[in-house]
Amino acid sequence: MTVTPAESIAVTFDTTAAGKPKRDPILIALWISLIVVALIWVAPFVFIVFTSLKTKAAVTSTGAFMPPVHFAFENYGNAWSRGNFASAFFNSVIITVIKVPLGLALSAMAAYAIAKIPLKSGKALLLLVVFGTMIPFQVMLAPLFTLVNSLGLIDTYPGVILPYIAFGVPYQVFILHGFFKGIPKELSEAALIDGASHFTIFRRIFLPVCLPVLAALLILDFVSTWNEFAMALVLLQDQHMWTLPLGLMSFQGQFSSDYGQLNAAIVMTVLPATLVYLIFQRYFVSGLTSGAVKG
Amino acid sequence: MPPSSCRPSSQVEPKSSLDAGRSRLQRGWLLLDPNAHALAAGRPEQMRMSLRNRTHDPRVQAFLLLAPAMAIYAIFALYPMLNVAILSFQKWNGLDPQRPFVGLANYQYIFTHDPVFWVAFRNTVIWTIMCLVFPPMVGLLLALSLNQKIFGRNTFRAIFYLPVIIAPIAVATMWKWMYDPFFGLFNEMLTSMGLQRWIKDWLGDRNIALYSVFVAYLWQSVGFSMVLFLAGLQNVSQSLVEAARIDGAGRWAVFKHVTFPALRTTITIVLVLSIISSLKAFDIVYGLTGGGPAQSTQMLALWAFTQAMQIFDFGRGAAISVVLLLITIAIVVPYLRWTQKHEEAEQ
Amino acid sequence: MRINSKYVSRFGAIAIAAAAFAATGVQAQDLTLWTLNFDNDAANTALKKVATDFEAANPGTHIEIVQRAVDEHKTALRVAAGSSKGPDIYFSWAGLGLGGEYVKAGLSLPLDKYYTQYKWNDELLPSAAAFADLYPGGKHGVPFTFKGEAVYYNKKLFQQAGITEEPKTYEDLLADAEKLKTAGIPAFTFGGSVNWHVMRLMDVILETKCGAEKHDALMAMKSDWTKEPCATDAFAEFAKWTKDYTLQPFMGIDNKQSYSLFTAGRAAMMLEGDWLVSQLDGSGANLDDYGIFPFPTNTNRLYGFAEYNYVSTKSKDPDLAAKFLDYFLSTKVQQDLVGQISSISVNKNVQYTNQKPLEAEWLDIFKTYSKVYMNGDQAFPLDVTTEYFRVINDVAAGNIEPADAAKQLQAFIAGRT
Repeated sequence: MTVTPAESIAVTFDTTAAGKPKRDPILIALWISLIVVALIWVAPFVFIVFTSLKTKAAVTSTGAFMPPVHFAFENYGNAWSRGNFASAFFNSVIITVIKVPLGLALSAMAAYAIAKIPLKSGKALLLLVVFGTMIPFQVMLAPLFTLVNSLGLIDTYPGVILPYIAFGVPYQVFILHGFFKGIPKELSEAALIDGASHFTIFRRIFLPVCLPVLAALLILDFVSTWNEFAMALVLLQDQHMWTLPLGLMSFQGQFSSDYGQLNAAIVMTVLPATLVYLIFQRYFVSGLTSGAVKG
Repeated sequence: MPPSSCRPSSQVEPKSSLDAGRSRLQRGWLLLDPNAHALAAGRPEQMRMSLRNRTHDPRVQAFLLLAPAMAIYAIFALYPMLNVAILSFQKWNGLDPQRPFVGLANYQYIFTHDPVFWVAFRNTVIWTIMCLVFPPMVGLLLALSLNQKIFGRNTFRAIFYLPVIIAPIAVATMWKWMYDPFFGLFNEMLTSMGLQRWIKDWLGDRNIALYSVFVAYLWQSVGFSMVLFLAGLQNVSQSLVEAARIDGAGRWAVFKHVTFPALRTTITIVLVLSIISSLKAFDIVYGLTGGGPAQSTQMLALWAFTQAMQIFDFGRGAAISVVLLLITIAIVVPYLRWTQKHEEAEQ
Repeated sequence: MRINSKYVSRFGAIAIAAAAFAATGVQAQDLTLWTLNFDNDAANTALKKVATDFEAANPGTHIEIVQRAVDEHKTALRVAAGSSKGPDIYFSWAGLGLGGEYVKAGLSLPLDKYYTQYKWNDELLPSAAAFADLYPGGKHGVPFTFKGEAVYYNKKLFQQAGITEEPKTYEDLLADAEKLKTAGIPAFTFGGSVNWHVMRLMDVILETKCGAEKHDALMAMKSDWTKEPCATDAFAEFAKWTKDYTLQPFMGIDNKQSYSLFTAGRAAMMLEGDWLVSQLDGSGANLDDYGIFPFPTNTNRLYGFAEYNYVSTKSKDPDLAAKFLDYFLSTKVQQDLVGQISSISVNKNVQYTNQKPLEAEWLDIFKTYSKVYMNGDQAFPLDVTTEYFRVINDVAAGNIEPADAAKQLQAFIAGRT
């Protein structure tokens, strides 16, 4: 239903001044349906934010979607100290800021090599990489712990970053490989004839062209690294090394949880990821790179 | 300007000893020996060439580009996976220093004696089919809608992407309360609209629990495919679209003949990733139902986790993981090869 | 590359620190203790204070208390316990099913010599200390908390249904439930999605229908569930309670949601533990509105369980660990902690003053009973527990008959290798 109106909207905007009035109702209908869907989408967030501002008594006595009567802003302060958020934030930032660009760079290099350099083992390598996306890693926690422990890397940043990269490589290489393959051969062949090395081609030609994909992957990877829990639980035992998701455990007791503080903590955890998204999402904007592809 | 003698070695006449040298090179371990390199390339006069000239060989470049990612991947992902595969033939509770070899006993158990395995299998199949259809479709629709210049589209994109940002356990907590049969949003809304008859025990009724969980999963995962589709849509050539419209093509025709083909790679990626992540579906089911009621929403990945990390029977958990892995391979690899051949045929 | 320099700098810092230690000759004695988070933050703070007080009294020591959520604690402990990176002291629920796993794997140090040295049996509540003797090969573990479970009821709702006194026998309780049903009030509320919550009902019914000995034999899997008629009776009784006397629907909600229903007055009773008192207090409920009575099982045993601290065999300094545990159990420390980590202390010398109304009732209950029967999930091995949960849930949902439930459970037990 929304496929055709989407195209028609493009037509509406392309033929600016002579806009055909009969297209407008479809535009409005699309807009309204988007609003409705967006409201449903936002409902759980409303729940989180409301609960984060309620006192303990209010959480159990008022309905989940009722706004708080007294705004318990102290939940945020209490959550910050109870969850050791100062150190948890620091650790999460260090790990994510190192891992995400580094992992993406390594994956992009590998994806380029598989996609554009003729290799006998190219197809096999790709399948080997895709295999990595299928590994259900929850069961791997024990062997992973043993491996990292034998390298002496428990409770260290590399001990967490290296496995994160290892599990990020498959997805990223797979996606980037697809996008690189879609780029016309002419672009790289011209440069190759001129004597450029693959490093140069990769850096000067492919990376800029793939900016939307890279931005998308950066956002996705930032989020999954920021929220990663299971591996961090097992590989980081020292509380001072805990990341934010591990800090969220502080609000969950054996029989009850402090929901007000827990939700405040969740809000604080979500904000940086949201910021990263807002910063990088403009690279999706149409027209930024379409010229380069056409050539 | 590099000397002409450093042209890619694929232009050299193949000779048997050179082939041998070349294949050793591809195995990489002679790479650091400049003499072997030159020999394999059929240019003995180039032995003891400078480093800079050596790195003009594309295979060297490929190796350097591939090595870091592959090394980390092999050590920290493939090696533990190998351990898991071996574990599936052993009996281990995580604590004993001994891990006795039990052959196929674990597999035999899960296929014949386990009361939950086939329920989990069936649920995984249903779930995967739903994941192949709904999230990509909705993601594509959203991406198409939000690729157009409509008012507030950045806000919309942010709203639809936001669920992906939240940790799955937080998503589960939210939705658990939305589905609460007494205080939850859905039942309160239905009651206020006078539709009490429609009130269901969303998470407690074993006939609908799986689908209720799926709705929460859809909410969370649509943003992921939407983002990938948005990125892919940037590669749709605008001038082609305009040309088609000038030629009088209708909206559907433009989509079918211009947009859709350009999205083929993205669609493959989204579908493959959807299959894979649906087969690994874990956090959302764990958080909402824990596999219940009475293990009726159990899924293979969750059951593997339960066996390994809650019952602490690592051997059985590993066996279930291996089965899941094989199923995934059986589905994904043929599909990938089919698309690979398709692409090669086009090129 | 960035990673390498990070690694080098961390490694370098550690190396320098190690050299500094070696140079000064000071040996810092380190102890790690892994345990759970408490619901209320005051308890967390109190626990940490015990550690710092011990450090002050014993200069040169460092006690690190690491707290996690329940499942995460289990996971982290499981993965690390056998390695060199595990804790010195770890928390586990006493009982063959949970704590017993570590004992069986040889990861719990027998503490007999410390029991003698520090004379713990003179200080500890006998019923709490009894769990250390459950295992062959010596005394394992030291009590951390001791918890009882009983029925909490809403006084107003009882009055509404015309119930004037607490039920003394199981038949009284049934009659009361019927009165509540007539008055349109659901008798109990349970959370079905957390299996161990509704399992409590099954446990108490088993105790009622089978009596102490047969119950223990069934849980130890020495008796056949299909051959003991009381087992099938218990399942049938359980089905009746969940169908007729429990607030529906409950299979999809957890214990926290069911707690909200209880405080909202949607059901009259809840089968909960002594921790609920501080939970009710913390959420602002009026404790005078509620009463408690032990579930009338017609046996002399209290439904409860113990949480223990175990010393790891991999600990580098078990003497220090025992010293810390002794400090923790000492009357002074327990007196300071009173009411914070649990409603009664495992130390029998602790005085209780200024108790909240329900706490005083709990104290009476604890004084009355000398024997305990445990929660099912602590008695059974883990895989049997999972099957037990599944079978119970199926009965509660009305999907299988009680006789089938016993058959399926016994088939699973018999099929274990």
